Amino acid sequence: MSKYYLFQDAKNCIGCHSCEVACKSNKDLPVGPKVCQVLTIGPRLVDNVPKAAYIFMPCFHCEDPWCVAACPTGAMQKRAKDGIVFVDHDLCVGCKTCMSACPWGAPQWNPEIGKVVKCDYCMDRIDQGLKPACVTVCTTHCLHFETTDKIQPIRRERYAKAMAALE
Amino acid sequence: MEKGTCPVADNARTLAGILAEGRIPVARCRQWTEDILSLMKDVGSGRGGAEHLPAMEALAKRLQREGGNEDCVALGKRLLSELQTHREVFLSHLETANCPLGDCIQLSPAPCQMACPAGIDVSGYVTLIGQGRGDEAISLIRKDNPFPWVCGLVCTHPCEFMCVRGRIDKPIAIKDLKGFAAERAMSEGKYANPDRAPDNGRKVCIIGAGPAGLTAAYYLGLKGYRVTVIESLPMAGGMMMVGIPRYRLPREVIDREVAMIEDLGVTFRYNTRLGTDVTLDDLKQEGFEAFFLAIGAHASFKMRVSGEDDFPGVADAIAFLKRVALGDHHMPGKKVAVIGGGNVAMDAARTCIRLGCEEVTVVYRRTRSDMPANPEEVEQAEEEDIRFSFLTVPIEIRGGDGKISSLRCLRSELGPEDESGRRRPVPVEGSDFSIDVDAVIPAIGQTIDKSGLESLDALQWSRRNTINVDRASMETPVEGFFAAGDVVTGPATVVEAIGGGKRAAEAIDRYFEGIPQPKMPPVPVRRQHLGFLEVPASTKMSLSRPQMQMLGYDRRRTTFQQVELGLSENSAREEARRCLRCDICVRCGKCVDICRNKMGVDALQMGYLHFDRPGHTDFRVAAERCILCGACAANCPTGAMKIEDRNRERVLTLCGTILNHLELEYCQSCGAPLGPARYHDFIRKRTGETALLAGAEHLCMTCARKAAARAHGEIMPPVA
Repeated sequence: MSKYYLFQDAKNCIGCHSCEVACKSNKDLPVGPKVCQVLTIGPRLVDNVPKAAYIFMPCFHCEDPWCVAACPTGAMQKRAKDGIVFVDHDLCVGCKTCMSACPWGAPQWNPEIGKVVKCDYCMDRIDQGLKPACVTVCTTHCLHFETTDKIQPIRRERYAKAMAALE
Repeated sequence: MEKGTCPVADNARTLAGILAEGRIPVARCRQWTEDILSLMKDVGSGRGGAEHLPAMEALAKRLQREGGNEDCVALGKRLLSELQTHREVFLSHLETANCPLGDCIQLSPAPCQMACPAGIDVSGYVTLIGQGRGDEAISLIRKDNPFPWVCGLVCTHPCEFMCVRGRIDKPIAIKDLKGFAAERAMSEGKYANPDRAPDNGRKVCIIGAGPAGLTAAYYLGLKGYRVTVIESLPMAGGMMMVGIPRYRLPREVIDREVAMIEDLGVTFRYNTRLGTDVTLDDLKQEGFEAFFLAIGAHASFKMRVSGEDDFPGVADAIAFLKRVALGDHHMPGKKVAVIGGGNVAMDAARTCIRLGCEEVTVVYRRTRSDMPANPEEVEQAEEEDIRFSFLTVPIEIRGGDGKISSLRCLRSELGPEDESGRRRPVPVEGSDFSIDVDAVIPAIGQTIDKSGLESLDALQWSRRNTINVDRASMETPVEGFFAAGDVVTGPATVVEAIGGGKRAAEAIDRYFEGIPQPKMPPVPVRRQHLGFLEVPASTKMSLSRPQMQMLGYDRRRTTFQQVELGLSENSAREEARRCLRCDICVRCGKCVDICRNKMGVDALQMGYLHFDRPGHTDFRVAAERCILCGACAANCPTGAMKIEDRNRERVLTLCGTILNHLELEYCQSCGAPLGPARYHDFIRKRTGETALLAGAEHLCMTCARKAAARAHGEIMPPVA
């Protein structure tokens, strides 16, 4: 995995899709590719109340990414210093093998340039000390971006509280 | 404006659209708009000069000021602002003949079209013939050449020398296809003229009814000019009629195509020679405002050997062929020597055989491979029992009592190269020998017969005795006088004369309109963008150039019947399917590079892409190796390489050639097509064990993401 962790606190997500919009505009993408995507799971009835979950799906920046293994041109790479998986457009020829190899559907097709685009945690922004575009616009602050050692135990705390309330 | 849209091309499209929709009702404004469009097209094809931009601005200003109605004023205003806004782009087109956005279409016409002196859209008409739309093919050809039938029979086809297919096996039979389509369209009554512009009352006089003059007459007639052609012979056609023998070009072919030009209202005055039967002043008094000189090269060079002027049995090839063409079928002698190695020499020799001469010998001072005649002409001459004496220089014609008895010659050897790049023949001393002949026909070259042009003393003549003109506009230094054809180029080909006539017609139109002449000769224009003919790779490779059906040898030695019998419908359509469509595929080699060097698949074996050192080509290799990843198609700059899913298959085509097609696998969840098994095997081999363990399910990108999101949703902790 990369040394970063992009955590979505799904409980607070209202499914406004601002993250998707910011991502697309930051990467200047046409209709089609969704480098990150908020998917609606549900609604279904929980105690007779319809509930839906909004799940943020970026790239997981796997430890041993299949997209990198599948890429015949070396365009898909894992950055040595922080483990970010990214695509070098100078090398990408558009064979789409990474798209077929990824079990999460993370690499996307940009028909305008005939190459693959994918979430790279906005490498250029990170290198300038900024956060990824999606995180900066999240209206409910449910997206958190940290290095793995600094991530807050939000879910653990919430679960503990819930357990306490049960008593 | 969209990204990648060039303002030059965009404005030309807009103007053409406005004109086509008839949105400018005022004739005066329409004319100005057409002129602007014409100038705009010059700019977009790299033919513009420094005056183009100010001329367009002036015309746009007139539209704005004098337009009269709202639409014209608005159009003028818009054009002015466009010219102002995109001034830089216009200037770069004018100064560097380069469209940085690649939107100006004629950036890369096919090599065949570039090689054609008339600039015919070859790939376009070949494709139309392949689709069985021969009559449309003829209309397409006639945008650049009003003589598709003549050229389909006698053109020297420089296009075929450039044909890229020739680097794989043999060039496409471009000439024969044209002849086939023209004959078919004519016989079915589908050979039609485009609509003529309304009469504009302006009179143009064309001197000479050869290919250059008739071409100019056709294009000027279409533009609404009142064209009169004066011709010294009793019929139209010029050298096509009296130079090319009937067994190559039947008279009916010329007559029918000339009739199409007559249909446009062009009038002919036969037996009328400028300077003899009519003077320039007479013509000017009749109201002719522009003149086009296309008198050809009807005089012959002399051999300068002794005896040349002493015998009536010596007749130069041009005079001989003319006499035969006009109906005198007496044979020149029983044993004839034809001097020279060009097409005219072949024509004269083969005509002699048909007149009943017993022995015809072609005497040429160089070797067979140096002959300027078309190889097929030489082959056909040999088939007709014509003898050849190579490395032979005639030095004297001998005889007595006005009758030739023999031709004395010297053997020659090839020495060092001369200025034409050919090795100069050097006579060998003391090697003289005689050939028994009773007639000699010199065919060693033609020149211009200047008689009749004495009154035009301001014309400038070149060292080669041809008229000097501006090569872009065919203008002579004499106001209102244009010239083209053999009189400018020296003896050349039909298609070169047609190209010159077409250029002159455009220049004459501009002369009347008072708009600037182009500074560069025109670049051929792709006339239309046609879809591809779909052909399996194996068929593409196995189809071969059709053998032309020929008249039997006995007939050929006795009659003037057409020797080449033409292609059958089936072989013509099959031949069109061999075309590689170089108007779309620019042979940049990106696909091959990516497949071999980036993907490591090496499925494209296309050696013909190398111009100088063509390698082996086999389109069938793709089916064995290609994984249908589509990287070649994704990187093809022109859309020649295409990948599509249809009929449960993924199909890769290059300009319609089906390189590979494999059955698709589908998403197990939504049924969307994923790719063929071979593609998935390729990926599985690269991702290895781990992927094999996890990848039990076959999902598309969208479903994979959805499934992952659902899994995340499921593992959410219970909510308090």
